[in-house]
Amino acid sequence: MITVHGLYKSYGAHPLFQGISIQVEKGEAVVLIGPSGSGKSTMLRCINGLETFERGEVIVDGIELHSINSKRPSKQEAERIRNVRLKLGMVFQQFNLFPHMTVLQNIIEAPVRVLGMSREQSVADAREILRQINLEGKINSYPGQLSGGEQQRVAIARALAMRPEAMLFDEPTSSLDPEMAGEVLSVIRKLVDGGMTTIIATHEMGFAHEAADRVVVFDKGNIIETGPPTEIFTDPKVPRTREFLNRVLGRFRI
Amino acid sequence: MYMAAPPKPKEGTLERIKERGYLLWGADAEGGAPYAFPDPGDPSKIIGFEVDLADAIAHELGVKAVQSQNAWDSLIPALERGDFDFAMNGIEVTEGRKNHVLFSEPYYIYTEQLVVQKDNTDIKSIVDLKGRRVGTLSGTVAQDILMGMGGVNVKIYSGQVEPYQDLALSRLDAVLLDLPIAAYYAKPNPKLKYAGPPVGEGLYAIAVRKNDTELKKKLDGILAKLYSTGELKKIYEKWGLWNKKQEKLASFFEDSGATTLEEGRRAPVKNFFPMLLKGAGVTVLISVSSMALAIGLGLLLTLMRLYAGPPFEWLATSYIEVYRGTPLLIQLFILYYGLPNVGISLNPVMAAFLGLGMNYAAYEAELYRAGINAVPNGQMEAALTLGMTRGLAVRRVILPQAVKIALPGITNDFIALFKDSSLVSVIAMVELTKTYSMLAASTLRFFQLGLITALLYFGMSYPLSLLARRLEKRLKKDQR
Ligand SMILES: Nc1ncnc2c1ncn2[C@@H]1O[C@H](COP(=O)(O)OP(=O)(O)OP(=O)(O)O)[C@@H](O)[C@H]1O
Ligand SMILES: [Mg+2]
Repeated sequence: MITVHGLYKSYGAHPLFQGISIQVEKGEAVVLIGPSGSGKSTMLRCINGLETFERGEVIVDGIELHSINSKRPSKQEAERIRNVRLKLGMVFQQFNLFPHMTVLQNIIEAPVRVLGMSREQSVADAREILRQINLEGKINSYPGQLSGGEQQRVAIARALAMRPEAMLFDEPTSSLDPEMAGEVLSVIRKLVDGGMTTIIATHEMGFAHEAADRVVVFDKGNIIETGPPTEIFTDPKVPRTREFLNRVLGRFRI
Repeated sequence: MYMAAPPKPKEGTLERIKERGYLLWGADAEGGAPYAFPDPGDPSKIIGFEVDLADAIAHELGVKAVQSQNAWDSLIPALERGDFDFAMNGIEVTEGRKNHVLFSEPYYIYTEQLVVQKDNTDIKSIVDLKGRRVGTLSGTVAQDILMGMGGVNVKIYSGQVEPYQDLALSRLDAVLLDLPIAAYYAKPNPKLKYAGPPVGEGLYAIAVRKNDTELKKKLDGILAKLYSTGELKKIYEKWGLWNKKQEKLASFFEDSGATTLEEGRRAPVKNFFPMLLKGAGVTVLISVSSMALAIGLGLLLTLMRLYAGPPFEWLATSYIEVYRGTPLLIQLFILYYGLPNVGISLNPVMAAFLGLGMNYAAYEAELYRAGINAVPNGQMEAALTLGMTRGLAVRRVILPQAVKIALPGITNDFIALFKDSSLVSVIAMVELTKTYSMLAASTLRFFQLGLITALLYFGMSYPLSLLARRLEKRLKKDQR
């Protein structure tokens, strides 16, 4: 479903990825963990064309993105990137809801304007999604009137309204307090259980343990270890993984 | 009527006057009495000896005369660009001007009159002027005389009222100006007196475009006829400007134009309201339309600068820097007087609209850019990941937020533009400030009319200030 192959990426003179590869099958839930600055966000951003990269390729559902060098891609390239994005939903740490639109407008904006869906249809969709995440009552609220957890759930709803093939989450709960984080994680959990292909960068090890089909450990722009959560969390093979887990699990008990 | 004419092609002026049914003559009603100035009794009417002369000439041509308002300093370039058929406004025949225009036979012989304070006994004639502060008008023969003498501390003015005011206030030691001006403004003033007999001698003549020989001949014929029938004498006598063949100057000292000045001083202030309101109307029209242009063009510039790529980005940036880095006044001059040199002739309304609009567009563009930059990056990224194109994201997500941020600034700029609109009077637009200075110059009621004019401006801009403040408050609330 999603393949990253031999990706090279540097920020200015600082190389981050040097030929990194990753493969995610349809229906798989992959969790990316690793120390801060190890490249998890950058990986997600490369997958849906928010970052340029120098070498390698990203293939999403058969659409290939080759090294994107220019901040101003050609029309053709831009269209290919857009097609990749149409297959992927993305959720950010900072929610990034449109503050000048209500919850409903946030959700139906892209289906109506990008997919050309009818208003009636997209409103009905939005209501259904909001019902599933218990936010029907907030349909006419503005983002500024919602709690962080509610905003993040709306952001997920907004991405889902585009009926993506896969979802990318970049630390979806890092700016939430534990209670709100729980609400959001349970929504993601439902998605994963429903068979949605997902890649999640997170520091929530408990969640990774329970929900992931596979855990990928990043360190300084390299994938140092990958495997099922039971294996990674109970019997990591790589010393760096063990160090990292000891550090974070000291704080977050499974 | 203060009418501004659309530009005319350059040949066959005489025919066109006849076809059109009226002749357009250029003069500056702010230049003042007794040449051409607003009638204090009915300020929407221009009167003066040159108005009478223009009417007489028009009568001979079988048409009506319409005055075209234009700043005195730029009468000649405006004539050259074809704004009116001829210029007649105390324009002295000089060699320099002959390079640019064709002069008719003279219609008046003027002299220069030195004026000093009543109790002054040191200055008896112009030979006593060395080392003194002497006021005169810019671009006049009097200025040339004073400059030519050497050692005189010459102060140049652009209006004919102010030198006498400064003289009365002892800011000047003397004023040298054409006798008709002295007769109107200095003679009635009890604090001032004439010093010595008039000096110099020069000619006022009608200026036509260089290739308008036919028109010149016709005007010469008409002037000759007006001389011989005594009609010209009648006009000058009416204005107290007649002097035996204009060589015997004694009769010049008779009471004359002073009557009109007194009338203007005593006229009820409500007489001036219609004129001032009309000026305010022009100000509103110019401000609103050029602000609309500024908002639209500013947006285009911002989008080019931020999203359109290298050549456009560079163009927009240069535009903004050039327009912000040069004075609006210069931009207006270039638009109105400069462009005709390359074959583009704009009428005053168009030049004012473009001049103000294009200048403010640069400032609006900067406001939008600040607004767009204040929208977090994540907004664009979120929109892109939803499959929006950059264009759609800018339109639906970025701009609505940016405009909200920029709105108080835009309102403030509108208030500034309102006041800057007074600058367009230099390109022959008669708006509120110009109306005020014309009326004030002919009545000397600078204070009273000034207060009324200021109140009119305030009445228009204060509601905008309130609006700006409300928008700012609302923005703060939204950000919480
Ligand atoms: N815009 C940028 N310019 C320069 N360097 C960057 C930029 N974005 C990220 N980096 C660098 O790239 C590296 C990887 O960053 P990335 O955000 O992908 O890490 P991460 O694993 O998501 O970390 P975190 O857990 O803190 O979110 C870091 O060293 C970071 O400093
Ligand atoms: Mg990150």
